[in-house]
Amino acid sequence: MLKWTLKNLIAEPWHLFASVSAIAGAFALVMFFEAVFAGESKQIVAYIDHSDADVWVMQKGVSNMHMATSFVSDWKAGSVGEVEGVSKVTPILYLNTVMQAGDKRWFSFIVGLEDEGQRAGPWAIVEGKSIPAHHEAIVPSVLAKITGLKLGDEVTIAGHTFNVAGLSDNTFSMANSITFITAPDLADIMSTIGSMSYFLIDAEPNVDASELALRIKNEVEKVNAIPKERFVNNDWNVAMQMGTEIIGMMTIIGGALAVLLTSFAVYSHTIRRERELAVVKALGVQNRVIYASVMTQATWLAFLGFIMATAMVWLAVPITASFVPQVTLHVTPLGLFRIGFTALLVALISCIIPVRRMLGIDPVHAFSA
Amino acid sequence: MTTPNPVLQAEHLVKTFGTGHTAVHAVNDVSLKVIPGELVVIKGPSGSGKTTLVSMLGALLSPDSGSISIDGAKFTELNDVELAALRARKIGFIFQSFNLLEALSVEENILFPAHLSPGGTRAAQSRADALLKKLNLEHRRDASPKTLSGGEKQRVAIARALINQPQLIFADEPTGNLDSQSGQEVMMILHDVARDQGCSVVLVTHDPRVEDIADRILWLEDGALRDRKSEQHSWVKDPVCGMRVDEWTATLFAEHQGERQVFCSQRCLEKFEANPDLYLIPDTEGPGKSAL
Ligand SMILES: Nc1ncnc2c1ncn2[C@@H]1O[C@H](COP(=O)(O)OP(=O)(O)OP(=O)(O)O)[C@@H](O)[C@H]1O
Ligand SMILES: [Mg+2]
Repeated sequence: MLKWTLKNLIAEPWHLFASVSAIAGAFALVMFFEAVFAGESKQIVAYIDHSDADVWVMQKGVSNMHMATSFVSDWKAGSVGEVEGVSKVTPILYLNTVMQAGDKRWFSFIVGLEDEGQRAGPWAIVEGKSIPAHHEAIVPSVLAKITGLKLGDEVTIAGHTFNVAGLSDNTFSMANSITFITAPDLADIMSTIGSMSYFLIDAEPNVDASELALRIKNEVEKVNAIPKERFVNNDWNVAMQMGTEIIGMMTIIGGALAVLLTSFAVYSHTIRRERELAVVKALGVQNRVIYASVMTQATWLAFLGFIMATAMVWLAVPITASFVPQVTLHVTPLGLFRIGFTALLVALISCIIPVRRMLGIDPVHAFSA
Repeated sequence: MTTPNPVLQAEHLVKTFGTGHTAVHAVNDVSLKVIPGELVVIKGPSGSGKTTLVSMLGALLSPDSGSISIDGAKFTELNDVELAALRARKIGFIFQSFNLLEALSVEENILFPAHLSPGGTRAAQSRADALLKKLNLEHRRDASPKTLSGGEKQRVAIARALINQPQLIFADEPTGNLDSQSGQEVMMILHDVARDQGCSVVLVTHDPRVEDIADRILWLEDGALRDRKSEQHSWVKDPVCGMRVDEWTATLFAEHQGERQVFCSQRCLEKFEANPDLYLIPDTEGPGKSAL
């Protein structure tokens, strides 16, 4: 019976290919959205990741960077520097605001760098300088590509004018592009005196980051200190949380679509052979065997659809990168697992309608000519 | 000599389709017995209930009343699961339209029911080989049913029906879609199955050649069995063309002036109905002369 079912599946390869492609399309849709969100989230933590400090110090009560505001008095940089195990302290100023070039406006994170701020600056320069001078800005190269900005052009940050002095890679995402200016310029914009936002801490060799963070928290008043890995995770979670609802909805829509398509495919591969089913029943095949074979068929269809969808998304990653640079796709194992699980559910649910029809077929029809 | 115990015994079978004045009494109080190795032919006009009767005997359709037993065990009270198991083990079917599973090869089709028997396919493989050989299908073992001729298809269907060594084979018009040569072959195979393997065969057919191979011919009319001696024919003349027609098996009738006329074809019947008096002339003038 199982052999019969599977042979029915492959008896018409083009039909099978069409069914699997349709199912794969539904899964790929969900995977694509997940990958977009994961890519976006990855970009959101890109700065923390690449600046590669061992510990981050911030205002007490703050525990992440994305969409957060933190102020720490600049003299505390000295106190933190005296904590045992700290080798270097690099303070930055940080602001979420609107940037404008020509008539285009976009939301941006501005990082203000001190004179010796290379440590916290852009890590992949495409063109121009990597460290901004007074009234200069280093902007993402993707932004330049989209808006047509060139070196020397003017941009406006919160009403202040800057010249583009450098273009950096890897600092753009739809929700989070990073622009670097000098700390005094940013302090001017923010009208703050004597405050920085975060300190990037480099530890001395063989010092454990968690222990160091704990020591800083205990020894310096009113600051929070978090090891890099945890800081990255915090931001990642904040970013993914914003996507969770949309991803959830997409999964439901894509899953429902896949159920519909798988149902239809099982239908057209087996129920179409209504007469053969009547014959099979007349020969003595039990209904539960028929159920199991439909289940197998649906599982195969969903599995093949899942594999094909994975391949489709895998191909989409480089294609998207070259044609739609503002979107970063990132395929995570968790995302794959989630769709794999959805595929299993899809297989189960999509059996219901075909099975009901199949169980209703009367074996006596084998005799009707 | 004592008569052997019947392998199949049906008592007072009734099956009615529909209700009220649209009700069709497809089978109306039929009782019969079939002994092991017997080849029983059921004949009767179209719509007389042959397929309905065979479906009930083959455990595919439950009767409204009456009982059927195979090997002395009544099965009319069994549930669907038990009935399916019974069909798989004890009954083989041969259909007019062959009903092979198209996605499977000849050999896989033959072995298909073996999955449903306790022995499984392993035990059945040698039987399948023997059947392939006996039915001259060895060279078509891996062929797809789509590529087979009608006669070959029906031989595959026969092998499939025999693979689990059933006690009973039901065949409904197995030669209906075959040319005369292949039909003859199928008839002879069924005859051998009954004679050599002790498997009882219940065969529904219009084919006149069964007269030679049947142990018994049952005549079903309006859902009930009527007496009819197998050796006898009731030859009458078609009044239009003058051809000899067997009144027992004829399906085209007309009443005229209280007399029943039998026809060989729809065409003759239509001619007759257009102008009956033209054909009802005294015998001395010879039949059909004026029709020419
Ligand atoms: N499922 C059904 N529902 C309603 N009426 C039915 C059904 N099956 C059969 N009948 C009716 O019962 C009667 C007997 O049908 P059956 O098919 O058994 O005849 P048959 O002798 O096999 O005819 P044929 O020689 O044409 O195959 C017919 O009048 C038919 O219309
Ligand atoms: Mg019939």
